Amino acid sequence: MLNFFIPILAFLFQEQSWLMRAADAAKRPDLSKFLVIGALLFIIGVAGVLTRRNIIVIFMSIELILNAANLNFIAFSRYLQDNGSANAVAGQLFAVFVIVVAAAEAAIGLGIVIALYRNKETIWVDEIDLLKW
Amino acid sequence: MVLSGYEALFFWIFALAAIFAALLTVMARNAVHSALFLISSLVSVAALFVLSGAEFIAGVQILVYVGGVMVLFLFVIMLVNVGAEEMGREEIFNKQKQVTASLIFCLLLVGGVLYAVSQGYPALQAAQTNKRTPEKMAADQAERDRSLAVGATGTSRITADTELVGGSLYRYASLPFEIASVLLLVAIIGSVMLARTLKQEVSADDVDPETLQEELALDPELAKLEPRVE
Repeated sequence: MLNFFIPILAFLFQEQSWLMRAADAAKRPDLSKFLVIGALLFIIGVAGVLTRRNIIVIFMSIELILNAANLNFIAFSRYLQDNGSANAVAGQLFAVFVIVVAAAEAAIGLGIVIALYRNKETIWVDEIDLLKW
Repeated sequence: MVLSGYEALFFWIFALAAIFAALLTVMARNAVHSALFLISSLVSVAALFVLSGAEFIAGVQILVYVGGVMVLFLFVIMLVNVGAEEMGREEIFNKQKQVTASLIFCLLLVGGVLYAVSQGYPALQAAQTNKRTPEKMAADQAERDRSLAVGATGTSRITADTELVGGSLYRYASLPFEIASVLLLVAIIGSVMLARTLKQEVSADDVDPETLQEELALDPELAKLEPRVE
C-alpha cells in the first residue's frame, strides 16, 4: 500500500511539479489572482440571477456582480500604480461611480419591489408575468 | 502588483471568505440569511480593496453598501417577506432545466475566464516595459510606504490614497461627478414616487380620474382625502 503512494507523492511534491509551482505562486498573489477571484464572484452572481425566484435575492446577486467588477477595477488600478502609469487612480474613480450607480439602482429597484408587492401580492418572479402573452 | 508575506496570507483568507459568502448568498433559503451573507461578502471584498491599496474605496464600500444599501434591503425584506420562508421550502431554485442550463453556462464562463487569464497574463507580463522581480516590487512598495507621514500613535502611516482619489475626482471627472449627483436625486424622487400608497396618491391628486372612480366605488373613505379646489 505504502509502496503504491510514495511514488505518487514524490511525483506531486518534486521540485518542478505543477503542485509545487502552484503553491509557490500562491505565496505571491498577483494581478491574475485578483482577476480570478473577481471572475468567480461575477459567475456566482450570474448563477444567482438566473436560478433564484425571489426578486430580492436576484437584486442581491446583481450587487455581487457589480462588486466583482469593482474588484477588477481596483486590482488594475494597483497594477498600473506599480508600473508607473500617469493616471493610476482612474480605476478607483470608476469604482466610486459604480458604487453610486449601484446605490441608485438598489433604491429604485426596491421601490419597484414594494409597488409590485402592493399590486400583485407576490415577490416570486415566475408569478410576475404581466408581459407574458 | 505582488503581495507577499502576511499580505498574501490575508489575501487568501479574505478571498475564500468572499467566495464562500457569495455562494451562501445565492444558496440560502431565507432572504434575511442571504442579506447577511452578502454583507460578509462585501466586507471581505472591502478587505481585498485595502490589500490592494484602495483604502478610500474600502471605506466607501463599507459605508454605502453595508451601511446604506444592505439596511435598505433588510427593511424591504421586512416589509415584503410575508410567509416567504414557508414557500421557499418547497423549491428555492427554478425548474430543473433552467438550473442545468445556467450551471452549464457558468461552467463555460469559468473555463473561458480561467483560460483567458492564464493565456493573457504571461503576455501582459512579457509586454511590460520595466521588468522587475517580485522581490524588487515588494521592496519598492515598502519604500513608498516609508515615505508616507507617520500617524499620531507613531506605529502606523497615513495613506495618501484618499487625497489622490479626491484630487483626481475633481481634476479629471468633475462632470461625471455632477451627473452622479443628479442621478442620485432622480433615484431619491423616483423611489419615493414608486413606493407611495393609493391614499397618498389620492391626497396628492395624482390619480387618473377613471381609476379614481373605480377605487371610490371600492372604498368611499378615499373621497375625504381628495383635495378640493375651493
